[in-house]
Formats: sequence, C-alpha cells, structure tokens
Amino acid sequence: MELKFYIESGIIESFVLGLASEEEVEELQHMRRLYPELDTEVEYVERRLESAAFDEPAMPPAEIRDRVLQKIRWEDGHAYSDPSSNYTFINIQPKDGDHITVHRWWKIFFIIFFIMSKVFLFLAIFYYLKYRMSQEQQRSDNLHQMIRQEQTQNPLL
Amino acid sequence: MANISEQRLIEQLIIGDPAAKELLYDRYAGALYNIVLQLVPVKERANEVIVKVFLWSFQNIGTFRTSGHRILFTWLLRKAREFAIKEALPETALTGTELMKQEDGLLQQFYLMLPADQQQVFRLSYFKGLSITTIARLLALPEGQINDILKEAMKSFRQFLKKTWN
Repeated sequence: MELKFYIESGIIESFVLGLASEEEVEELQHMRRLYPELDTEVEYVERRLESAAFDEPAMPPAEIRDRVLQKIRWEDGHAYSDPSSNYTFINIQPKDGDHITVHRWWKIFFIIFFIMSKVFLFLAIFYYLKYRMSQEQQRSDNLHQMIRQEQTQNPLL
Repeated sequence: MANISEQRLIEQLIIGDPAAKELLYDRYAGALYNIVLQLVPVKERANEVIVKVFLWSFQNIGTFRTSGHRILFTWLLRKAREFAIKEALPETALTGTELMKQEDGLLQQFYLMLPADQQQVFRLSYFKGLSITTIARLLALPEGQINDILKEAMKSFRQFLKKTWN
C-alpha cells in the first residue's frame, strides 16, 4: 500500500524527467533494490513518455545525421577525432627527432629580432664614428690652443 | 537490422557496430529533437544538442545498464535535456516567460494545463534546469513549499501521461 503511495507521488516521473534531487534518486534506487516490482513501474513510465514523444517527432536536418554518422566513420578508421570539433588532424611530419615544431609566433619573433639586431649594429657603428670624430676635433682644438699659448708667451717667434 | 529489439540494439552498440549507431539515430533523433526544441527554441543550438547527445551515447553506452533507466529513449532524453539546458542558459535570463516556440510540444501541453503556481515552478525546474534551492531564492519562498509545488506538478504529470499513453 505504501509502495503504491510512493509510486503515485510521481517520483518516477520526476526521476525520468531529470528533476529529482540526488537524495531522491538515491532513495528511488534503494527502493528499487528492495522492491524489484518498482523496475516494472519505471519501465511503464518510460514507455509512456516514449510513446508520447514518438507521437510527434520532428526530424533534425539531414546534415545533422551526416555529422553524427560521419564521426562514426572517422572513429572506425581510428583517426584522431575530437568530439567538440569537426575536423581530423593528421600529423604528416617525419618523426625522426631531427625536426621540431614551433608556434608560428616564433617566426614573428625571429624577424623582429633580426631587424632589431641590424638597427643596433647600425647605431653602434654610427655612434662609434661620431665618437671618433669628436675625439679628433678635441685633439685639434687642443693643438690650436697650445700654438696660441706659445705665441703669446713668445711674441718674438 | 531495422527491426531488431532494443536489447539487441544495445548489445550491438556496446561492441561499436556502426550500423547499430545509424539505427539508434534513425529511431530516436526525431522524438528527441521535438523535445529538445521545446527546451532550446533556436534551431542551430538544438541541432548541436542532438549531435552532442548521440556522440555521447556512442561513447557511454556501457553506462546504460547502471543508469537506472530501463529504456534507451529516456536515457537519451535525460542527457539531451542536460545538454539543452547548458546550451540555452547564456541568453535566457531567469525571468523567462520568453520563447518556447513549440507550443504544441508534449511538455508544453502539460505545462499549460497546470495551475499558475505549479506552472512557474515547473517552468524554472524543467525548462530552466534550476535547483529547488535556486527557485526558492528566486521566488522568495521556503524550499519546502517549492518542493511541495513541484511534487504536485509531478503527480499531475503522472496522470497526464497515464491518461493518454497507458
């Protein structure tokens, strides 16, 4: 009698629709172990819902069938297939240990690095020459000064 | 192949038979799609849900027997609802009287028959996938009351199914 009351409470429907809480589901599973006839009741409810749903089917577009079943074919071919994406990735690089694969950003990094090294090289040469010029300038200035000093000390020369 | 029993279909799926997978799709996709469209009224998203459910089912058919479900359809349906709620969540705010375009859908028909308080709780629970705790907070009612309202709705759902599809 109590079992009938339990069934009539709609707990099975709640479980089948996915609305039952974890405790309720656990309780139901426990009850099913105690009263195996509950299994039949669960099946009745599930069958009713199934017939109701089959009364008004709406087929998804054909491309969905293709997508679902195409993935099966890939799986059967043992190719790598990621369930969340649509393509197969096949690595065709030789596996000999002499080659490495790097991210494409390394390319940009190396181009920038190359250009920067040229710029710094240019600047280094440029400033070196400038430094040499200013050094020479100073030396010739000193020379002029010395000559002038000697002239003033020795006006007869 | 098209007429094989559910038991046999499950066995074939477990050993990964491609023909069984096709059969599973052909048998259940239509009925599932109808229910998913009520949960995710945007076609593209409902399509994604269908793809996900079937790929999941091919991978997880081994767990069917311990799932507590007795038939494949409801096993698939429960997962479909799970995916559908995840898919629908982003743009549907919790106010939610919006959409549900399939007005003649099964769950929709049932929903429209309920009294107002049960409608509200059933909508948030079934269509939005919210927990009792969240619904209670949202409606500023005690959890016990929400629980009782949902139980009433489930009793009605039992009667609703029994009346037509017994």
